[in-house]
Amino acid sequence: MIEISKLAKKFTVENPKKLSEQEKKDPRLKGKFFHSVQDVSFYCESGEVLGLLGPNGAGKTTTLRMLSTALTPDSGEIVINGTNVVKKPVVARQMIGFLSGSTGLYGRLTGRENIAYFGQLHGMSADKIEHKIEELADILDMRTFLDRRCENFSTGMKQKTAIARAVVHEPKVVILDEPTTGLDIMAAQTVLDFIRRLKDQGVPVIFSTHHLDEVAELCDRVTVIHHGRTHFADSFEQFKAQVPGSLHQSFMHVINQGV
Amino acid sequence: MWTVMLKEIKELLRDRKTLFFMVALPILVFPLIIGLVMFMAGKAVDKAENKVLDYAVVGAQYAPALVEELAASELFNQVAIDDGADVTAFVKSEQADFVLVIPENFSDDALASGQIELSLYLNDAGLNMVHRRLDKIVDTFADASQQKAFATLGLDESQQAALVEPIVITKVNVADKRENWGEKIGGMFPYLIFMLCLQGAMIPATDLGAGEKERGTLETLLISPIERHKLVLGKFFTIALAGATSALITVSSIAIWGLVLGQSMALEVVSEFMSAINPIDFVLMFLMLVPIVAIFSAVLLSLSIYARSFKEAQGYMTPLVFVVIVPVVLAMLPGVELKGGWAWVPLTNVALAIKELIKGTMDYFQLFAIFSSTAVIAGALLYFCVFWFNKEKVLFR
Repeated sequence: MIEISKLAKKFTVENPKKLSEQEKKDPRLKGKFFHSVQDVSFYCESGEVLGLLGPNGAGKTTTLRMLSTALTPDSGEIVINGTNVVKKPVVARQMIGFLSGSTGLYGRLTGRENIAYFGQLHGMSADKIEHKIEELADILDMRTFLDRRCENFSTGMKQKTAIARAVVHEPKVVILDEPTTGLDIMAAQTVLDFIRRLKDQGVPVIFSTHHLDEVAELCDRVTVIHHGRTHFADSFEQFKAQVPGSLHQSFMHVINQGV
Repeated sequence: MWTVMLKEIKELLRDRKTLFFMVALPILVFPLIIGLVMFMAGKAVDKAENKVLDYAVVGAQYAPALVEELAASELFNQVAIDDGADVTAFVKSEQADFVLVIPENFSDDALASGQIELSLYLNDAGLNMVHRRLDKIVDTFADASQQKAFATLGLDESQQAALVEPIVITKVNVADKRENWGEKIGGMFPYLIFMLCLQGAMIPATDLGAGEKERGTLETLLISPIERHKLVLGKFFTIALAGATSALITVSSIAIWGLVLGQSMALEVVSEFMSAINPIDFVLMFLMLVPIVAIFSAVLLSLSIYARSFKEAQGYMTPLVFVVIVPVVLAMLPGVELKGGWAWVPLTNVALAIKELIKGTMDYFQLFAIFSSTAVIAGALLYFCVFWFNKEKVLFR
């Protein structure tokens, strides 16, 4: 169970002259600060998959970064299974598996070493890491490239390794930031299958995406944010019912509706 | 912390580019370059020594014996010059390598002629052996003339010597050989080591900070449940180790190549000099380098994590070389000694201390000032580095 309420985060604008025209028109720009996330709230029960939707620059990545403890929110609360993430980030990190869209691997290490390194950082024993890697290699079909250096991996191989790395410590919550962006259909399917597997195991998954068909395939809940505010947070059925017959129209409707 | 460090070291060792700069460059390339330069310089000197020089003489009629001697030399080749020609223009137009102008008063009787002044016209800008070769020939005539004058005056040997040089200052150097050499090369040594430490630490520092950002691995690392200061320390020790190793490899390489080359030249001087420095001094030199390397590593890591990319990181680090040169050059200035205030100036004090240790004139009480000032600065910089690693503005630029 993960619960987020009234999350807000602002960034200092170092050089206002460098902002694009679009950014200057953004209502979130107030004086020297850019209020990237202003009011985001949603929750996700165990065994549920939550799809986080929103246009580019809506504040999705910032929200997920706060969830993952990489950024500290200015206000608001994040609670995972009763643990306050903002107050106890180091404890919370043990429970979170995070994969960002722009994530990379250490090119000079093999796939196995990459995964094992993060297992070690999570304080796992060598035996347990070994065991977990074997398990993940089967699930994600990584046997053929696991012991090669990552620098020559294809995008799909990299993404599989990155997923394995994100869940090596058996997290209580998995957060994925645009996990299928830039992948071919086969690799994307592997990612989606993996999310489904987590769901079956009762692990809540939060992932951001631009593909509504993925949302239709997997999500129990949908949250739409726009200009750093939650515009919609309810079940997938409710989202679908906004404009019957078209998810795209539902999305546009929610965006235009206002808070 | 050790997990981070071990992983970073493993990654570094697999990076051929870094290894090349850290190991191959100092061991093979530098000595090769230095060797090549020495070889070329030797060739140039050789060539200058063996080259047959064209010359002309004005006023040959005043010193037929001298002219004959010049003509007899295999290394000279006489060319003709017109009477009344412009000598300067003659040399400038490269019609001869030099022109010797002999005055009317040339004779072998110094007492009658007074001092004789030969004028030598030449282009002295480049490497040439004109003066040395000419001296050899002219000196025999000068000596003969001198002896003749002494004989005429009827002077004994002591009077002769007194006449040539009425008062002589004899220098008695109380500095031993080690101090003498130490002063000469002791200034260069820390300069070299500091630069090598910095250079050796720079490449891994770029990789460990900006590299993580550029490859997109930083975010994942930051959200792993390792405390931030341990993460920083792991990276910091890797960089420091790389810097120290690089410097150590280079210094040993210089020492070994120095011995190998010294074998053919003056081995005794080198080995005598090396053995005069006792092992404790070597250990002290190394110990003093530890906080220095720590200072470099902390600064480099801070710069690197601030940078968005490799390129940006390199841009920030290059000026650092000039910042380091200043305090080391200060230590080379005459009059700057390891006393009072200077013992507290970071980098300069260690440079001075290394020089003193090489010279063998170290005032060991100054170690307190050196270690405390350097360690305090290193600690403060490391603390700043941890603080820096906690700033969102730095990590997510």
